[in-house]
Amino acid sequence: MRPKPEAPPNAGAVRPTPGELAEPQTTIRVSRDVDFPLSLLPQSLRRGPFREDAFTSVLHEPRTTVVVGRWLGAALVVCFMTGLLSHVLQQPPTWLRDHLPSRPVNGYRVTQGLHVISGIAAIPLLGAKLWAVYPRLFGHKLLGDSHDPRLRKSKLFEWPPVRSVLHALERLGIAVLVSTMLLELFIGLLNILEWYPWPFPFRQTHFWLAWVATGGLLVHVAAKGPMIAQHWRRGSVPGLRQRRAFLGAVTVAAVAVTATTAGQTVPWLRRLTLFAPRRPDLGELGLPVTRTAAQANTTVTPPDWRLRIDGPRPYELTMDQLLALPQSESRLPIACVEGWSASAHWSGVRLRDLLARAGAPPTARVRVTSLEANGPYRVMEMPAAFAQDPLTLLALRVNGRVLTADHGYPARIIAPNRPGVLQTKWVARLEVI
Amino acid sequence: MRTFRVVTALAGTGLIGYGVYGLLHDSYITDPLDVLVWLFGGLLIHDGLWVPVLCALGAGFVRGPVLRGWLIVAAAVTAVALPPLLRDGRNNGNASLLPLPYLRNWLLALAVTAVAAAVTALVSRTRRRG
Repeated sequence: MRPKPEAPPNAGAVRPTPGELAEPQTTIRVSRDVDFPLSLLPQSLRRGPFREDAFTSVLHEPRTTVVVGRWLGAALVVCFMTGLLSHVLQQPPTWLRDHLPSRPVNGYRVTQGLHVISGIAAIPLLGAKLWAVYPRLFGHKLLGDSHDPRLRKSKLFEWPPVRSVLHALERLGIAVLVSTMLLELFIGLLNILEWYPWPFPFRQTHFWLAWVATGGLLVHVAAKGPMIAQHWRRGSVPGLRQRRAFLGAVTVAAVAVTATTAGQTVPWLRRLTLFAPRRPDLGELGLPVTRTAAQANTTVTPPDWRLRIDGPRPYELTMDQLLALPQSESRLPIACVEGWSASAHWSGVRLRDLLARAGAPPTARVRVTSLEANGPYRVMEMPAAFAQDPLTLLALRVNGRVLTADHGYPARIIAPNRPGVLQTKWVARLEVI
Repeated sequence: MRTFRVVTALAGTGLIGYGVYGLLHDSYITDPLDVLVWLFGGLLIHDGLWVPVLCALGAGFVRGPVLRGWLIVAAAVTAVALPPLLRDGRNNGNASLLPLPYLRNWLLALAVTAVAAAVTALVSRTRRRG
């Protein structure tokens, strides 16, 4: 039950000096969810964004926010789940390590592609959502927010800005949600082009903030539950020409940014690629690279390079001996954490044949060490399911040519359904563990 | 509804707690205060600068749904095009990073969407008259 304010409606016309209260507050019985008419806001604060007519658009209203919020929520959930999966695949916990499947071949390519696609699509959606609810920042009630039809047309303010502990927590929750969302999308967008102008590490920060943002989203949905339910259906409020136009434009914006970037992983969108930091067909031997030989300091292979395989029966192979072994072919994608992916024809020696010759049991994991001196992925561990997959190769050639230094010469790992950083290049040693 | 809200709020609080705990205890994140500064800075720039400018422009100068719609699309395209535009040429010696003519592509996208918007405006005007 909302108390009816007893203040005369034209009280604001008498202009009190700034700092003076426009109305005697004593006429109002303050209960927890009182909504004050604007005229009761202290006159000194009724300026700028606190003016009654500060926001003129009719689209600062619940149905618009619910429709955009649904799309944004869906994008965020996809982004969070795929990101979590990528994190698990890159650093699997011990209990999960031996249960990760090496199929489908394109699994990681699809999920990580979706991660970046949903993140980029979320940029216009987040912009639209935050614009629609922006008047709330200054305490404006969104039009139609009220359940009371008599109040629906009048603009109401929440005053004071914090009315209870729960209300304070809700507002703090909104700040947490908005700030983490903005920063997540920002650093994610820059990470795909390897640009790091901030002082903290990308991967860890992106990971932890994702939990905070998703938690904030859940709290937000809980706080707004009744309002969301009330405006969920199309017929819940009268149709609005401006709303249709706005939602149409936001849809076009989301489609436009997706179509012009997703070609970095979706083959049939390749020709539309305008803004992606990579295109799958551009690079040495028709394949992009993430880490160059110059960056890894592996441009020159030591002349005495030999592949060393450690296990129950350790042995070494020269390049000539490797090339003399039965060569296999695999068509496998490189799928990078930055969201690009490209299929290529690889040929080389099946990893499981090399391991079997060292006396490795089929359940053994393998540790792969690169020639590079440092780098977070210099040493990589591969679970048995991937090591035993017939498609997994110690590749020596790609797309019909000998590997270049940037692609991992003299030898690299290529396995199905694995993040690109685990497709170790410049391999020096395999170790059965 | 009440049960749903309570469960969702508790789950959300748990996730936030887990994320904050992880952020504070991650050995790679040596100064979590940096993250806080960037979080607050992003909020400040977005809510204190970008949206006010947007609202002022929208209320003051932009007329008609088609122009409004095109500006929304143009803003989204620009947001995604800006990082490669600003980084053009800086690829850490990696020729396959940022290999496209991003300035040309950005202008092209703005032009194509502007033409599409103009056609939309013309068609709707003709229909209204016819």
